[in-house]
Amino acid sequence: MSVDTRLPSILTAATPRRIVTFVVVVLIALLVLPAVLSTYWMKIMFEMAAYSLVTLGLGLLVGRTGMYSLCQIPMVAAGAWFALRVHYLFDGVPFPLILVMTAILTGLLGVVIGLPALRLSGLYLALVTLMAAGAITLLLTVVKFPNSNKGFWGFDKRVPSGQNVLPRPSLAESDIAFYRYTVVIVAIGFLIAAWHIKGKPGRAWGAIRQSEVTATAAGVNNTLYKLWAFALSAAVTGVAGAILVAGAGVTTQQFPVEQSILLLAVVLLGGVYNLWGALVAAFFMRVLPQILDKKLGLPPEVLTMLFGLGVMQVLLMQPKGVVEDLRNLGIFIGTKLGLVGRNERKALAAAEGGAA
Amino acid sequence: MIEISSLTVRFGGVVPIDDMTVTMDVGVNGLIGPNGAGKTTFFNVLSGFVRPVHGTVTAFGDDLLTMPAFRRVRWGLRRTFQTEQAVAEMTVFENVLLVLEQSGATNSTRRNDVIDAVEFVGLGSLISNPVGSLGAAERRLVEVARAVVGSPRLVLLDEPAAGLPDDETAALGEVIRQIPERTGALTILVDHDMELVGATCSHAAVLDFGHVIAHGPTSEVLNSPNVMAAYLGTADVEVEA
Amino acid sequence: MPDFKPYLVIGLALGGVYAMSGVGLVVLYRTTGVLNLFYGAIGALGSLVAWQLINEYGWNEWVSFLAAILLAGVLTFLYGWILGPPLADRDPLVKASASLGFALILLGFMQWYWSTEVRTIALPTTNWQYVRAWLNINWTQAIGMIFPVVITILTTVLLNRTKVGTGMRALADNRDNSALLGIPVRKVEAVAWFGSGIMFGISGLLLASLVSMEIAALTFTLPVAALAAALIGRVESLWVTLIAAFVIGLMQSTLGAVSSVAQYRSTTPFVAAIVVLVWFGWRGQTSRRIA
Repeated sequence: MSVDTRLPSILTAATPRRIVTFVVVVLIALLVLPAVLSTYWMKIMFEMAAYSLVTLGLGLLVGRTGMYSLCQIPMVAAGAWFALRVHYLFDGVPFPLILVMTAILTGLLGVVIGLPALRLSGLYLALVTLMAAGAITLLLTVVKFPNSNKGFWGFDKRVPSGQNVLPRPSLAESDIAFYRYTVVIVAIGFLIAAWHIKGKPGRAWGAIRQSEVTATAAGVNNTLYKLWAFALSAAVTGVAGAILVAGAGVTTQQFPVEQSILLLAVVLLGGVYNLWGALVAAFFMRVLPQILDKKLGLPPEVLTMLFGLGVMQVLLMQPKGVVEDLRNLGIFIGTKLGLVGRNERKALAAAEGGAA
Repeated sequence: MIEISSLTVRFGGVVPIDDMTVTMDVGVNGLIGPNGAGKTTFFNVLSGFVRPVHGTVTAFGDDLLTMPAFRRVRWGLRRTFQTEQAVAEMTVFENVLLVLEQSGATNSTRRNDVIDAVEFVGLGSLISNPVGSLGAAERRLVEVARAVVGSPRLVLLDEPAAGLPDDETAALGEVIRQIPERTGALTILVDHDMELVGATCSHAAVLDFGHVIAHGPTSEVLNSPNVMAAYLGTADVEVEA
Repeated sequence: MPDFKPYLVIGLALGGVYAMSGVGLVVLYRTTGVLNLFYGAIGALGSLVAWQLINEYGWNEWVSFLAAILLAGVLTFLYGWILGPPLADRDPLVKASASLGFALILLGFMQWYWSTEVRTIALPTTNWQYVRAWLNINWTQAIGMIFPVVITILTTVLLNRTKVGTGMRALADNRDNSALLGIPVRKVEAVAWFGSGIMFGISGLLLASLVSMEIAALTFTLPVAALAAALIGRVESLWVTLIAAFVIGLMQSTLGAVSSVAQYRSTTPFVAAIVVLVWFGWRGQTSRRIA
């Protein structure tokens, strides 16, 4: 086998097959879907696109770095909040700049949450993030989304209530145009994530997920890379929040704690390790409930039950003897779904067949 | 050269390292002793995972103990563990690269350094394979490759041959023996396989209850009655020449 | 100085309710290693079933409550009986995640079967009141305050004086060896699952009566204080859990008297849990040793 002597990075990972798949998917999203789907379903696809950034963010934390966060949905709300606040604070700021500032602010929030969580792992980390999710969600119902530039929180009681909406960029004002804008943003987000994953940060994250001790022994600065993962994950999720505000508006009821749990469930089911898994997870979360509802008459609550069942099933089916790591589930599922690449499949096969 | 002086580690009432003093030179140095003697604890002190209550470690003129753990890799410390470090889904190349890029290597030489290290341990043909698909002996060689990549100064090998059959142990030994020549690093090898220690180490130190009870050229140490007594637990031992 | 008195009774009553679930959580975790995250959902289900029986089927109140509590016990027991063994050797995170999966199933079912109308359930004990000077307390609240203390005492006695209790302590200490010593692991665990389930069921009913029957609130937001209290007790000490629960309940309630922070008071259990977890996490790590 000839040795690829370039340093592994997103460039080396960009095999012709992957490039073509990526371009085809983006083109289908941009051109084909708006042509064949009704307005209602295009709204759903918009939500799926926005939420795929959220699942991407969680996949980075859970799948790559092995950190279980149940606080992801409040990050979406935080992103929406930052976007609105920035909009009201600086009159007439262009939309892309709002996105950038939202990414930075939410990323900082991610670091703030990540700092105390640095010394925690496994169950304790999950619990702390669950508690943080609850606190932020409650805080949001008190503080509400900004609707003006009044005071620090930007909430003015006198402004008539309704959904909070961010004005869209002038080149993407219609629903379909904004949907396309979103697809482009999402594609950029995935590329940024891939750049990280295939490069130095991704390798460091992989080492941390394997074992923090051996990562340190390999020279990895655990603090730096963990915070980086928190920051990137939060930034991407925050941007999703900003997009949702502009695309569909947000209410404080939209982000209950159970959504965070559902999100973790779909990310586990969708396959946390693979980037495509993020799309699958977003599909499960946003599109599948609608399909089941409209085509089969099944209420979305039943899907919640199925997800719960799916999570339990998947946890139980974990092959015995594999290193205790829910990330392997993603590979396992991905293998079954045919989404997983050759290298990962080999590694899993070896791990399954080998000694514990 | 590395100087360990009056090193003492305490965990509550347990004293795994008790006034340990020894000096080692560049080359492959064996560190042997019965189970529980403190060998892995000693490595943990060098790695920065355990803080001693007393003593100093000076390596190549630098005070190792004042550096944070991950920075020591940048300084030139490398270590293998009894459990596996390599990330199974990443290729051999990526795993070795990980250590190199975290140790502060500059861009232009990274690629070649990784290939050199992998070929040095004899895994050149498997360089693009995921580590998870390799056999046990090959995985150990990956760990060694990670330990010798770049410019290591102090290489710690913690029972690299544990569980390996004889022929693979011998092959591993061959690689280990060449480490000083290739890297100029001071290598410390902990292992229970006396043949491996005898074949690779020019000098050896014996640790018993956290204290160095013998140190010198390997053959002398391995034949010393003190050492046998430590392993066998008897006070007086008659040694047949 | 704001007047805290009206908030004392409610605070203690709520704290007691949290304590009951908290005690259930601690005993269960110590015996099985499972941090049960569906305890709120079970309580919610119990209260909804009781409501259904009383309002739709005309059952007698007391029988309905009893049925609801038993249902909670049985369901929790079944979960433990069926899912305990296959998950027994897994990481605590996996075990907790599985329980979270079950919580989703319960939540989905409840949201599907019972629509989001406003429901109330009134325990008859609420009708019996005691009023004196500023103290206005009804029997539901009194139960909320006294019962958990009684339960904690009884559980402590159980753990220290009975065979089952000794079995539980042995399991908490070392599972594998316990089996080797002839301790009937499955039986002991079954008692822990069923017993904690009963606790969760009682808590659910009391919360439904004292606060609200909104499904999501009853499943997550309200009972989380119990988890916070259990975590403060390091999921180990019953008495610390009990006291922590009362403190959280009191704080949550009395903050309502301080107008500047009143609207934030429902975040109390979350903040308490975060502070405790982070503190323990940072402390634990500094003394961690690498084997």
